[in-house]
Amino acid sequence: MNEGNDEKIERLLTGALSGLPLRRAPDALQRRVLDELALRAALPWWRRNFARWPMAARTGFVIVCVVLAGLSLTSGLTQQFGAQTRVWVQPAIGVMASIGGVASWAVSLVPPLFIYIALIVGALLYTLLFGLGAFAYRTLYLQHSNTAMIRS
Amino acid sequence: MVLSEHTPVQTPPTGTGSDVRAARDFTTFMRSYQDMVYTTAARVTGSEAQAQDIAQEVFVRAYEHFADLADNPTAGGWLKTVATNLAINHLNRYRKRWRMFSEMRAADDESAAQIEFEVPDTLLSDLSAEQRGAIVDAALRRLPEHQRLPLVLYHFEDLSYQEISAKLGISLTKVKTDIRRARAALLPALQAAAARDTLES
Repeated sequence: MNEGNDEKIERLLTGALSGLPLRRAPDALQRRVLDELALRAALPWWRRNFARWPMAARTGFVIVCVVLAGLSLTSGLTQQFGAQTRVWVQPAIGVMASIGGVASWAVSLVPPLFIYIALIVGALLYTLLFGLGAFAYRTLYLQHSNTAMIRS
Repeated sequence: MVLSEHTPVQTPPTGTGSDVRAARDFTTFMRSYQDMVYTTAARVTGSEAQAQDIAQEVFVRAYEHFADLADNPTAGGWLKTVATNLAINHLNRYRKRWRMFSEMRAADDESAAQIEFEVPDTLLSDLSAEQRGAIVDAALRRLPEHQRLPLVLYHFEDLSYQEISAKLGISLTKVKTDIRRARAALLPALQAAAARDTLES
């Protein structure tokens, strides 16, 4: 198609596609919306989106997160540099340090070679599945839509 | 009035007088806009089932903003924008993984859009709006998604090439190529359908 044809086709389609009537929404849509609203309203606050939690709950949650993050950081610093900490946080730091210790012990049990092999196998499998998916998409979906278009 | 998408959920319709009134107002509001919202979602997604899900979500969000939307003259525009964005997000969620493979040829396959055929002087001009609507919707559904989406955004949502490129996260060249290809595919399909329709009637 040359430039002139492009413009002509655009003009033709703009004319043909303008002023089309709206499609009628299914009768069930209103009922579905009202049912969904009732369902969401019946959810307890803690199962809703965080932005819709009560202000007190949101504030409390943020404070707890900050305290936990602070404790993790403090326990790391204590282990690393032996820094002095307040007495009341010692038990919490102990628990955090133990959890960290168990996790690093578990990781140290796995030989590094196994980890590298697992990463390579994982990447290969992902690529293979990705390729298979793309092949299926092209052969099953795209060809089907192109055939439908030609038939129309 | 500026509408934000993050306002708290209002109390849902229950038994009290004001709530029942609010529910009735919202139902009237929904009835006024549901065809427009559904049509927008159906044209973007090309699927009636997905359009219903999207229309439902649009009105659930509208309910959360109902205090601002109820008497707002821009409510239609807000609903249309939300419907379009939700439909695009919905498609993108499933498309992202396949896009690289399904659309990778488009950029270097410009010649595929250079199809030569005779362009008619008129198109669907003899048909009623209802007949045109049915034919166009059927033809749009058959277009591949990566062609239908930019075409719908350009011709029905009045977005510019640049806006479409930004919304879909694809290059301007690809937007133009896809729209050109979509038109090249749509035009003969519309002509054939119109000819069939005329013959049958």
